[in-house]
Order: sequence, then structure tokens, then C-alpha cells
Amino acid sequence: MIEFDHVTRTYGAKTAVSDLTLAIPRGELFALLGPNGAGKTTTIRMLVGLLHPSRGAVRVCGHDLVKDPRAAHLHLGYVPDEPTLYDKLTGREFLWFIADMFGMPQRLATDRIDREIDHFELGEFADDLAESYSLGMKQRLVFAASLLHDPDVLVLDEPMVGLDPRSVRIVKDLLAARTREGMTVFMSTHTLAMAEEMADRVGIMVRGQLRFLGTIAELREQMALESTTLEQLYLEVTSGRGREP
Amino acid sequence: MSGRAPPPEAVRLLSFEDESRLFVKLRATLALETIRSMLSDARLRLSLVVLLSALFWAALYGLFVEGFGFLDALHAEVISLLFNAFFASLMVMLVFSTGILVYTGMYCSPEARLLLTLPVRAEAIHAHKFREAMWFSSWGFVLLGSPMLTAYGVVRHAAWPYYVVMLPLMISFVFIPASVGSIICTTLVAWMPRLRLHAFTIGVTVACVGAIGLGWSMFSQARVDSMSAAWFERTFARLSVTEQKLFPSWWLSMALIEAARTERDGTLMAASLFESLKFLALLIANALAFQHLAGWVAGIAYRKGYSQLAGEIPSRRRRPLWWFDRALGHAGFATGRPLRLLLVKDFRLFRRDISQWSQFAIFFGLLGLYFLNLRAFNYHNAYASMIGYLNLAVVGLILSTFTTRFVYPMISLEGRRFWILGLLPVHRDQIVWSKFLFSFFGSLGPCCSLVLLSDCMLGIPWSLIAQHELCSVMLCMGLSGIAVGLGAWMPDLRESSPSKISSGFGGTLSLVISSLFIMATVIAAAVPTHLFLLTHTLGPSVISSHGILAWAGGRWGAIAGGLAVVGLGIAATVVPLMLGLRAFRRLEA
Repeated sequence: MIEFDHVTRTYGAKTAVSDLTLAIPRGELFALLGPNGAGKTTTIRMLVGLLHPSRGAVRVCGHDLVKDPRAAHLHLGYVPDEPTLYDKLTGREFLWFIADMFGMPQRLATDRIDREIDHFELGEFADDLAESYSLGMKQRLVFAASLLHDPDVLVLDEPMVGLDPRSVRIVKDLLAARTREGMTVFMSTHTLAMAEEMADRVGIMVRGQLRFLGTIAELREQMALESTTLEQLYLEVTSGRGREP
Repeated sequence: MSGRAPPPEAVRLLSFEDESRLFVKLRATLALETIRSMLSDARLRLSLVVLLSALFWAALYGLFVEGFGFLDALHAEVISLLFNAFFASLMVMLVFSTGILVYTGMYCSPEARLLLTLPVRAEAIHAHKFREAMWFSSWGFVLLGSPMLTAYGVVRHAAWPYYVVMLPLMISFVFIPASVGSIICTTLVAWMPRLRLHAFTIGVTVACVGAIGLGWSMFSQARVDSMSAAWFERTFARLSVTEQKLFPSWWLSMALIEAARTERDGTLMAASLFESLKFLALLIANALAFQHLAGWVAGIAYRKGYSQLAGEIPSRRRRPLWWFDRALGHAGFATGRPLRLLLVKDFRLFRRDISQWSQFAIFFGLLGLYFLNLRAFNYHNAYASMIGYLNLAVVGLILSTFTTRFVYPMISLEGRRFWILGLLPVHRDQIVWSKFLFSFFGSLGPCCSLVLLSDCMLGIPWSLIAQHELCSVMLCMGLSGIAVGLGAWMPDLRESSPSKISSGFGGTLSLVISSLFIMATVIAAAVPTHLFLLTHTLGPSVISSHGILAWAGGRWGAIAGGLAVVGLGIAATVVPLMLGLRAFRRLEA
């Protein structure tokens, strides 16, 4: 579903992502971890086509994000760290705009919009202007919009920021259900507990390089730290002082 | 994965037409909702803006009718020259302003980031943002151009087809420089992202060098009496550079002049109308071609440019004027330090925002060049005085566009940082006062210098120069008061784009009130002087028969005029600031 093929991205003389090679199969929930400035956001932006790799290629469902971005975007749903909405559109109008952009037929779009409004409990304010929404409401709406077209790949950049505990639970349940149905999720997060609870595999990025790739169990095994928490493992890997996996 | 997966069920790529239709629908929904909000929440304000705009339009119309009447009687060909010079300058300004707005809308806005992650063509996103940029950069042209061209039609007794083709001519003209600005912007960002600032600077330098060259040619020639045949001949020759037949501005000028032409008995001149329509067709064809070209370039360059630009690392050390900031921060008493620190912050932001200081430098630089060239003419006293007041008004009008565009949104832009300011030991009043002082002291130097330059070039006596300088100070103070006061009175704390804030209701109101204030100030100062000069040139008998005019043209009239200027300046400063301070104190962030 997702392929990073020897991807490097530089900002002037600085290398943000270095020779990243990574394949994530259908139905996997992958969590990308790393300290600030590790290259997570750059990786996510290349995955959604906002940034072009300096070298290598990023593909979604076989479509190259640089050569054929529109075809790739048909398979993608994206929830950015800062939700972007039109203040003078209502939540429902925004969902319709997104559905129309994906060329969804009217009847199907109506059903899907109702479905997502229901899933994310947007009913109370779906017909209010987005300018009156709180950050959490905006984030829920963006989640709903990203799932309207049942994407094969969902990309999440710090997805839980601004969500209340109930919304977090809704999102977690939904991600679990969708991955079971075959959707691939690529998530960047600082919330280690969430990664531990939900991710099939994690990647730990440090200074542009993927320092670890595998399951939490494999990380424990490689670090020979059976009883420690993910937080301790993460700190070991990212500190640059401790043992490398 | 080797093969390409088919798109998910019931999802498809749209045609370009469908994408464009969706964007038009989106724009219409947003516009309707904005109007609906204004009608329900701010009916009074909306009515006030409509009323004041209508008054402004009518005043401009009256001014242009007088102006065209004067020029038509004097020398009809001057109008062609004026149209060419006006539209050619406008063309250059539209290239720059649309380029800057396209850059902001396509590369720096959160909306662009959203749209680039959807399965939409880059060309469709460009068309959507281009329309927005064109609207923001050209509404002023329509607002100023429509009374001007209507007045021209009325003075020339043009038949109805002139009024029908007027708007299509203006719109098709605007598309050409706007498309060129967009092409330059997308090309620079995609292929020369690091050079875009240098390219912009080079463009401005070339424009300035051209203007200086033109000015030098005017300087180097012998003086001749203004308004004489020789003066006209020389002026025609000098400004012939704007009459290039390959310029869209020339096509527009010709189309308007031809469309306004009538037979001696006032009936429609078919041949002229046909000629005008040919120019209209030329403008439309070029507008379509350039827009198509701009879309094509965006299709190739937009995504690449967006990625290139995001790959730039902003320069982290910018401290060429640290001594100024430090001196300002530490000067004076400790109690006023928060205010001074806010000023330091605003001066720093101004210096680092190229869109602000570059436009400021371009407009005031061009105005300075124009004033320098005034010396090439000989003026009679009455003319010199009149031109001096007109120059004063021009300086005020240009300043008012800056206070509206850059100073008015300043309070609103603090909305995003309100949590910082709100937690600091700074009284809210100090925030408002800091903006006022920033605008007032920032504008004082350039405006007073320009007016002094104009007066010196015109050879105006020192007593009048002192009066003009007083007017300049009052204009700077009043315009800053209006922009800051109204900005604090009706802030839009949710909007992050200064251009959108200034083009909204409050910004328009600020511009309209600023223009009325400038007109009132200049008239209050000019009328006594003009009457005084009339008495001295035409003899006392002309004025003395009218008591009030004799009084107004005398010493007491001059004093009353001066007091009126000061009174207007204080009123324009105090009233909006009081309203703004009161509203800002009550504001819940």
C-alpha cells in the first residue's frame, strides 16, 4: 500500500530524511515515532504529496506521488496536525465539498456524509459555520472528511491533538475497525501509549534516519529489555547514548 | 508493490471543468455566507460603508468631470496621453500586486495545503487562487476607474455603447497584467526559489531606473512655460514611452477613446465603435491567452514550486538593526518600557516583511521621483500652490492605502498571539497606543520629507511650506488614528490574512473615512490660500464684493484654515482611538 523507496529529502545543506526505505502492507497500522526535528513531518508531507523527495520515490497503491499525484490522492485520506477548514462553510457543506472533489455520486455521498457525521457525533453542530467550532470539533470534522471516500491509506499527523477522551476512544475504535477491513494507517505521534496500544509496527526516527523498524516485542527483544515500558525503550533509542537495537 | 491499484469504489477523478465548477460553487457559497453574516450582524455598518462608498464614488466622479472638462477645453489630446500613462502605470502595479497575492494565496495559505492533498489538478487550484488574487488586486482599479471613465463618457457626450463596453474593457485588461504577475510568481518559485527575492528586487530596481531615466531626461531639458504648446509637445514626447502599441494599456486607451467618439450632432459613430470593439476583441483574446498560459505554467510548476519553497530554511540571524531596537527598548522611563518593547516588535516585524516595506518603498519612491521632476516646469504662483495642495493630497491618499492595508489589520493580527500579550503585564491600551505610535512616527518622516521636496521643487514660499508640513503631520496623525482606532473597534481575531482583513468591511470603512478626512483637510487648508492668491493675481475687486470670501482670503481666513486642519487632525485621531480603546478593553479573546 505504502512504499518509500530510498527516499532522501534535503533542506539546503540539511538532510531531513536520509535514504528511507519502508513498505507498509494493506491493513497495517504503522506508527512513526521520534523526537522533534527527527523528520517525521517531512516524511508525512512526502507521503501526501506536499513535498517532493530530493531522491527516491514515494508510492501509494503503486502510484508515484510526484508523477501521478491525483491518482495517488484518490487512495489517500489525510488528517493534518492543524485542521484546515473554511470558516464560512458549515461542517456539512465542508463534507460535501470533499465528497464532490472525490467525484462521489450524490446518493453515495449523502449516505457517507450521514455515516461519518454519525460516527464522529457531529450531528449537533454539522449545520453550524466552522468558525464557531472548537479545535476538537474541527479535528473530528477533518477525520470525518478524510474517511468519506473509504481511502485505502489514511495518513495521520498527531491525530489526537485537541480531542477529548471520548473522541479519542471513537477514533481508536474506528481505526481498529478500518484496519481490520483492510485500510492502511500511517500515523505520526508523540503519544507512546497510543502507539503501544494500536500499532502493528512502529518506526523510530532519529535525525532523519529510521533507527528502528518492527513490533514493540521485537524492540524489547533487540534491546534486551523485556520488562521495560515503551517510553524507556523509546528514550534509549532516541537518546543516542544508549544501546542501539 | 508492483501494480497500480484501481481507485476505491465510487470515487473518480474529475474533469477540469467539474473541478472549476466546484471551486466556483465554493467561492459563491463563501461569498453568500459572508454577505449573510454581514447583513444579520452588521447591518448598520454595511449601510454606512455603502453610503460612504457611494459618496466617495460621487465625489470622484465630480472631480473627474471637472478635470476632463478642463483638459478637454485645453487640449483634447492630453486625455489620450493621460489614459496611456495611467493604464501603463496601473499595468505595472497589477503585475507586482497580483504576483505577491498569488504567492501568498498559493504558497503560504493553509487552504493551499488542504487543496494540494486532494485529487485536484494544480491548474484548477491555480485558477481558484488566481481569481481571488485578481479580485483583491484590482477592486481598487474598478472603484477608481469606474467614476473616471463614466466622467469621461459624460464629458465627451459618449453614446450608450461606450458605457456598455466600459466594464468588459476594464475586466479584460486587468486579466493580462494579473496573468503575467502569476506566471512570474509561479516560475520564480518553482525554478528559482532562492532567487525570488533577488528577482523581485531586480524588477523593482529596473522599474526605478527606468523612472529615474525618464526623470533625468526631463531634468536635462530647458525650462518652458507650463501649459504652452511647447510644454505639451515636450510632455507628449517624454511620456510617449507609455504609448507603445504593443501595450495592453494602449489598446484599452484607444478602445475607450474610440468608443466615446460621436458625430458632430451627437449620434453614434459606427466606425469608431467598430474600432473600439476590435480593441475589445484584442484585449479579450490576449486575456484568455495569458490566463491559459498562466494555468499551463501553474500545471507544470505549482506542486514542484510548493515543495521547493517548503524546502527552504529561513535565515535565522537577522540583526542588522539590533542597535535601533535596543536603543528604543531602553530609551526613556521604565514605566513606558512595555510600550516601547511593543514598538520594537512592530518595527522588527515590518522590517522582516518584504511585502510591507517593498510596497512602501515603491510607492513613496515613485512619488519622490515625480516630485523631483516638478522642477523641470515653471509655474505661476496660483498653479504652484494648487499643485502643492494636490501633491499633499496624493501623499495623504497613498499613506491612507498603507494605513488601511498594513496598519488597520495590526490589532486583528494580534488575535493569534493574544494569549501571549494577554498574559504579559501590559495594559490593553498600550497595545493600541503602540500601534498608533508605530504608524504615526513611521509615516511622519517619509510624508513630511516628500511634501517638503514637492514644495521646494515648486518654489513655494516658506509660509506655505510650514502650512503644508502642519497638514502632513495632521494627516499622519489622523490617518494613523483612523486605521488603529477602527482596527481596534472592529477586530477580526480569527482571520490571519492581512489582505483579507483590510479588504473586509472595517478596512473599506477605514479607507473611505481616511479619504474623506484627507479631502476635508486639504480643502480647509487650500481654500484660504487660493482666495488669497486670487486676490493678489486678479486684483482685490474680484473678492472684495463678497464679504465672506474677502474674510476667508485674508489673514483670519488663513488662521481659521489652520485651526480647522488641526481640529480635523485631532478629531480624526481622538474619536476613532477612543472608540477603539473602549472596544478593545471589553474584548474577550
